[in-house]
Amino acid sequence: MSEATQTIDAPEQGGQQHHPGVAVYVIVAVFLCVLTAMEVTVFYLPALKAVIVPVCLVLAAAKFALIAMFFMHLKYDSWELSGIFIFALMIAALLLVSLLTLFAYLSHHMA
Amino acid sequence: MAAQPKPLPPAPQNFLQGGGLLGWLTTVDHKRVAMMYGVATLVFLAIGGIEAMLIRMQLWTPDNHLLSARVYNEIFTMHGTTMIFLVVMPMEAGFFANFLIPLHIGARDVAFPRLNALSFWIFLVGAIFLHLGWLWGGLPDAGWFGYANLTERYFSPGLNLDFWVVGLLILGISTVLTGLNFLVTIVTMRAPGMTYMRLPLFVWSMLVTVVLILLAFPPLTVGLIFLTMDRFFGTHFYEAAYGATPILWQHLFWLFGHPEVYIMALPGFGIISEVIPVFSRKPLFGYPMMAYSLVLIAFLSYGVWGHHMFATGMGPVADSAFAITSMLIAIPTGIKIFSWIATVWGGSLRMTTAFFFALAMIIEFTLGGLSGIMHASSPVDLQQTDSYFVVAHFHYVLFGGVMFAILAGFYYWWPKITGRMMSERIGKLQFWLTVIGFNGTFFPMHFLGMWGMPRRIYTYAPGLGWTGLNQLETVCAFILGLAFLLMYVNIILSLRSGAKAPPDPWDGRSLEWSVASPPPAYNFARMPEVRGRDAFWIMKYGRAGSRGVAMFMAGQTPPTPESQLQPPTEPIHMPAPSIIPLAIAISMGVMGAGLVVGYWRVIGIGMISLLVSVIGLGFEYPGYGQESHDPEHAPSSGGVDVRKVGLWAFLGNECVFFASLISTYIVYKSRSISGPGAEILEVPLTSISTFALLMSSLAMVLALHSIQNGQKPWMRLWLACTVGLGLVFLGVEAYEFTHFYHEGLSMQGGLFGQSFYTLVGFHGAHVSIGVVWLSTLFFASFSGKFDKSRSLSVELAGLYWHFVDIVWVVIFTLVYLMQQVKGA
Repeated sequence: MSEATQTIDAPEQGGQQHHPGVAVYVIVAVFLCVLTAMEVTVFYLPALKAVIVPVCLVLAAAKFALIAMFFMHLKYDSWELSGIFIFALMIAALLLVSLLTLFAYLSHHMA
Repeated sequence: MAAQPKPLPPAPQNFLQGGGLLGWLTTVDHKRVAMMYGVATLVFLAIGGIEAMLIRMQLWTPDNHLLSARVYNEIFTMHGTTMIFLVVMPMEAGFFANFLIPLHIGARDVAFPRLNALSFWIFLVGAIFLHLGWLWGGLPDAGWFGYANLTERYFSPGLNLDFWVVGLLILGISTVLTGLNFLVTIVTMRAPGMTYMRLPLFVWSMLVTVVLILLAFPPLTVGLIFLTMDRFFGTHFYEAAYGATPILWQHLFWLFGHPEVYIMALPGFGIISEVIPVFSRKPLFGYPMMAYSLVLIAFLSYGVWGHHMFATGMGPVADSAFAITSMLIAIPTGIKIFSWIATVWGGSLRMTTAFFFALAMIIEFTLGGLSGIMHASSPVDLQQTDSYFVVAHFHYVLFGGVMFAILAGFYYWWPKITGRMMSERIGKLQFWLTVIGFNGTFFPMHFLGMWGMPRRIYTYAPGLGWTGLNQLETVCAFILGLAFLLMYVNIILSLRSGAKAPPDPWDGRSLEWSVASPPPAYNFARMPEVRGRDAFWIMKYGRAGSRGVAMFMAGQTPPTPESQLQPPTEPIHMPAPSIIPLAIAISMGVMGAGLVVGYWRVIGIGMISLLVSVIGLGFEYPGYGQESHDPEHAPSSGGVDVRKVGLWAFLGNECVFFASLISTYIVYKSRSISGPGAEILEVPLTSISTFALLMSSLAMVLALHSIQNGQKPWMRLWLACTVGLGLVFLGVEAYEFTHFYHEGLSMQGGLFGQSFYTLVGFHGAHVSIGVVWLSTLFFASFSGKFDKSRSLSVELAGLYWHFVDIVWVVIFTLVYLMQQVKGA
């Protein structure tokens, strides 16, 4: 990064820039309902038992992303806010996966 | 539109003057808060030092009974706890960072001055809390690491560990609040031209440190919550008899504990990176690499906690992974050491006490780093673990690395903070005694460890060949104690009769040296304009900077830019003092004390006092939620309000908190050996409450949309819908909990029940807080002042509400929909 340049772009005051309208919010809400319905359907269908983990995780991730991007406006706000949240999310995911892996190994070898 | 700031009466000459005792109790000035941290940490440093002396006296001879085994355990537990939580961390983050960050970045104060004062008072309450065990039969005695299940009520029935666990929870709140405050301050309050790549390295180190704090403390908090529940509410999170594993505590503790090493070390690196260039008269070598290596150290530090647990038997794959990451961290650390040496190399050196300590730090820390690499190798570590070799290693890192850096910073910034010079003669004597005492105390521990002397033993048998080195260590520990005594003498002499310090006694490079010593309450009479790295050096000598070295070589006095030394030309609005932070901290202490001694009425009194204090804060702060233009809450250079950045940072912290809870739930759900399991969960009912929560998010965002467009009645309607749907969710949860309880699923019955109730219960508590927050906004909206300009208050509440919603999205999937999937 050049020392002579400013690092921060200057968006509009108060961080309330370009928030979407009601239509977008409603469409996102409809998507959330549909995705939840799909999750519950997967839960009740015996044929999908084998893929319930990946399917439900993908659907939950999609819901998570929709709320964060549109309802929480990360898509429209300063990159600094996204950076703070995404880095924390990454560490949280790392923690979750690491602990589950370590304890799975422990359980496997104790059994 | 924000109210015009009222002109204040003429400001006192410097921040130390005026106000009396009440002025200090109600201060929100970052410099005064820093001073209070400084005094408190110096007191705790003396206490921790005396504890260290007692440890060494006990180990003077074999079969010594100066201290009983129990008292010895208490002393080493409190020595570790005190030095880490009450000395090093608050000295760096509370004292140095509080004082310096706003001065370094060209700000008048931190982002949230009241929160800053609150952090200090909570810290003080927590510190006192840790020591309250004296009054109830003894101090905590399970080590600063508090390994489960030694900490369970069955093995430690006294109140001492209750005070320890609640005290640490209180201290954790203080630290996280400090971390949030500094993160927001650095991200949003930099002076014009102060880009990230122009930040003083100390500020970089604190930026990385506070990110570590925010993301490393939640696992400890969760571990302590489990321990609190085990001790007070009869759960069994760490009891193997119920299928649980005490190893869970070790994971949660070291997930915090190793980043904690860097939380302590990185500010020390930052201090050294400020001191060395000034006394070498050279810019810091490899500035960008120094900054990037800080980030890399922080990132890697999350992946190395397992090297504290090699002896628990994690398996070869995990051992190898943790060994590799632990070795990798030596690379960015090596970059720092190389850059410091390269900065000194060829410089025009001035051998001051601060510089002595900085140079010694490089050597001592390198020694600690070298033994650290040995621990990274799991086969080697298995030989060294729980021996005195480890004690030698971590003291070389934490004393040799961190305390030497603190002492360098102390001598370097003391004239700026107090306006008085310290005696260089006494300082250098202290330095040499410190070097002799420190190395004489800790270097022989490497040998004792390799000869088999275990750590934490209160005495040892004669004839093992350990006596001579133990006696040498004890003598040297007293030399070290003498060195610190000299520092206290130097402090007193300086305050009483030290020479007055000029604004720039060291020919400094960063902005704090441009203002008077001590600085005025407002820091900068006019906002500085930053034209490059080493901002003040450029102000003095221009961009080339070599003129400064030439003037030094010719024995000429450096030029002093006068602009910051003149009185301000227009009124400066500073935050008003407040007693509320002190009241909130005391209320928390009362609640904690009530919990420990089991008096529910005391808890009630604390809660009422806390509620009154928080409501009082609302009255003190009528501008809440406005798009602010006052200097206390001004939007950042990026246009983002400081409160919004603060809330996002808090949500980041919450992500790791819930990740820790969810991990525990998944691990424990299939280990439960009693009580009902996950099959009890009901998807249809919970699908309804999930739908309600998702729709509440839609209502929330429509409420924000309405107020942003000036449609207040619509905002009220949507807010009411959000609250209503939140209550539906809570109602279903309450019904579900009651139903499960009647089915035999209790907190005490089995691992599934306790981890389920804890995870879902904490989420429910968050929803309840959200409902209260939104209800408050709903009623506040009937005030005539609540208009479009306060839409930020709705946006902040909305962010919190949506976050609670996305946490539920994860819980619903992992807990309810994957109930048949076997856990880890």
